[in-house]
Amino acid sequence: MTLLDSPALAGARRTGSTPGRLVMAEIMKIRTTNTWWLFIGGVLVFTSLALARNGARHHFELNPQLDGLNASDKAQVLAQAAQAHTPGSLDAIAGDMMTSGQFFGVLFAMIIGVLVVTNEYAHQTATATFMANPRRTRVIMAKFVAAACFGALFWLASTLMNVIVTPIYLHSEKVSVALTDWAVVRSVLLNLLAFVMWAIFGLGLGTLVRSQIGSVVTGMATYLLGIAAVAVVVQLIYLVYHHAWVQSAIVVAPAVASLVMTTPGRIDIDNPPPQWAGLVVMLAYTVAFGAIGVILTRRRDVT
Amino acid sequence: MPILLLLILLGGATAWWVLRGKGGRSASASAGDADPGLPDVVLGEGRGSATRVAADGLISVSGLTKRYKGVVAVDDLSFVVRPGRVTGFLGPNGAGKTTTLRMILGLAAPSAGTATIGGVGYGDLAEPLRRVGGLLEASAAHKGRTGRNHLRILCRSAGIPLQRADEVLELVGLTPAGRRKFKGYSLGMRQRLGIAAAMIGDPQVLILDEPANGLDPDGIRWMRDLLKALALEGRTVLVSSHLLAEMQVLADDLVIIAAGRLVVSGTVATVLNSIAATGATLVRTPDVEKLSAALNGDAAVTIDDSGDIYVTGVDAAAIGEAAARSGVVLHQLATQRPDLEGVFLELTKGKAAIR
Repeated sequence: MTLLDSPALAGARRTGSTPGRLVMAEIMKIRTTNTWWLFIGGVLVFTSLALARNGARHHFELNPQLDGLNASDKAQVLAQAAQAHTPGSLDAIAGDMMTSGQFFGVLFAMIIGVLVVTNEYAHQTATATFMANPRRTRVIMAKFVAAACFGALFWLASTLMNVIVTPIYLHSEKVSVALTDWAVVRSVLLNLLAFVMWAIFGLGLGTLVRSQIGSVVTGMATYLLGIAAVAVVVQLIYLVYHHAWVQSAIVVAPAVASLVMTTPGRIDIDNPPPQWAGLVVMLAYTVAFGAIGVILTRRRDVT
Repeated sequence: MPILLLLILLGGATAWWVLRGKGGRSASASAGDADPGLPDVVLGEGRGSATRVAADGLISVSGLTKRYKGVVAVDDLSFVVRPGRVTGFLGPNGAGKTTTLRMILGLAAPSAGTATIGGVGYGDLAEPLRRVGGLLEASAAHKGRTGRNHLRILCRSAGIPLQRADEVLELVGLTPAGRRKFKGYSLGMRQRLGIAAAMIGDPQVLILDEPANGLDPDGIRWMRDLLKALALEGRTVLVSSHLLAEMQVLADDLVIIAAGRLVVSGTVATVLNSIAATGATLVRTPDVEKLSAALNGDAAVTIDDSGDIYVTGVDAAAIGEAAARSGVVLHQLATQRPDLEGVFLELTKGKAAIR
């Protein structure tokens, strides 16, 4: 018995690497560093901020301030408040509360997707990864699944917080909405889809821009500044070409698309794009960036 | 309000990156704790060699070429690396050693030619880590991950039992450091973690790029014993290195490349003799002038500062015969066998090193 003998290997069945093992290895890579729980902390912070903001907004929607208004304004405001109390609007409010934290939460999902790839290059572990599994498509597919799992985990953290706070809030506002209403559940599930899609989007971005800081900055800029840029362009086109659908075209900004997909009413423009448009745009981005990820990983030399 | 949130997020993210970077730096600065004791490498009873089929471990490089934009890094390179021997892979900086190893390991696609292990390209091996172990960069692990977790991830992805991670940690003497984070490892410890990773599948073939870098004398001796033991078991060991004196002790075969092309390959003795044939002969004699006159025109006689006489251009036999013919007394006659360093420098002289 010497150090070169291996009881572990001698006793083991030779199973080789299977897609399931590859996914578990990728999840283990994230799990064995600090990033994921720091990010969950970030998701929770932003979820609580969003809950406060959304709560305040809906509070004034349901209980308008009537002081210092003349009679006709007062009537109009009361009518709006009454409108907010209809079942449909209450569902929308509940859905909004239950998806609080999405705007910045998906940003964390995107960044974890970016890190799943760029960590391999930043820490030069890509060599070991691809030596263990030269079939690169399988590796990148496993990464997609792992990134999606962590996107879902972030969604779970955010939703757990929402599911605790929302009923308390709605109770204190003295409105009764069943959180099991399909409209609410659908928003929550679409929110999950958004987290997963952004994680995959981030992973594709990471393969495109392999520098860690480069791709994180690019991703955040696309997400946060992309809205403003697209809004300006859309508005300019709208001035020239005065059609309603032009305004709706702001949905091509990925951040808008994911908002529209989950809670279509939240975009504050004249001609809000339909929910399906948000879904289609997000799907298109996810597939495009996923494909970029696979193709680039297959073709490029590992350095 | 959204603008405010945006600023908070950007600020927070920036702070995070800065702090992360700082953490990494300060930790690497403090790295330098003494390496843990090395376990002895004890030879097995040939358990492996009986089961290893020699042809499985043959590395065959044929017409291998790699072109980057305008630069030919590896140029029509062909050689074979045999099982049961340690093969040193030598060349000046920029000669294309690492590029060649990357192509053998399926990490870089050749522009032309093939590299196979046991007749199969790396990408077509069924269980690559069970057949081939590679070490390319020593500092290749996530800074915030423990060495043990790094190895366990490799086990997981290759379908190897996780306990194997502890076995290879033991093999390279890193067991005490296994649960510490990689950023606290010294260069020698990182190198050993890399060797542990290469050994994880108990492979028939080992391909190591500069494995002795950063090892202390103790570590270098340990590495030498390990690699020799592995070769004796019938495994193929291909090692690139700049430590020529170490290579001369360690290697059985040599492959020397320069400017992407093969310079020479063969056993260490063959490579050394390729220069020795034209090397110098040390002569001690009381009568230098008479000996010089006795040698014919091909020979050149030089006397160095310490008074030693060197004859080049003819071999020792010719000098002895010439001395006997003219009755010159010789006190010493010794062929100077050049060391690997001398041969290497002679062989790679004038070849463009960095392109």
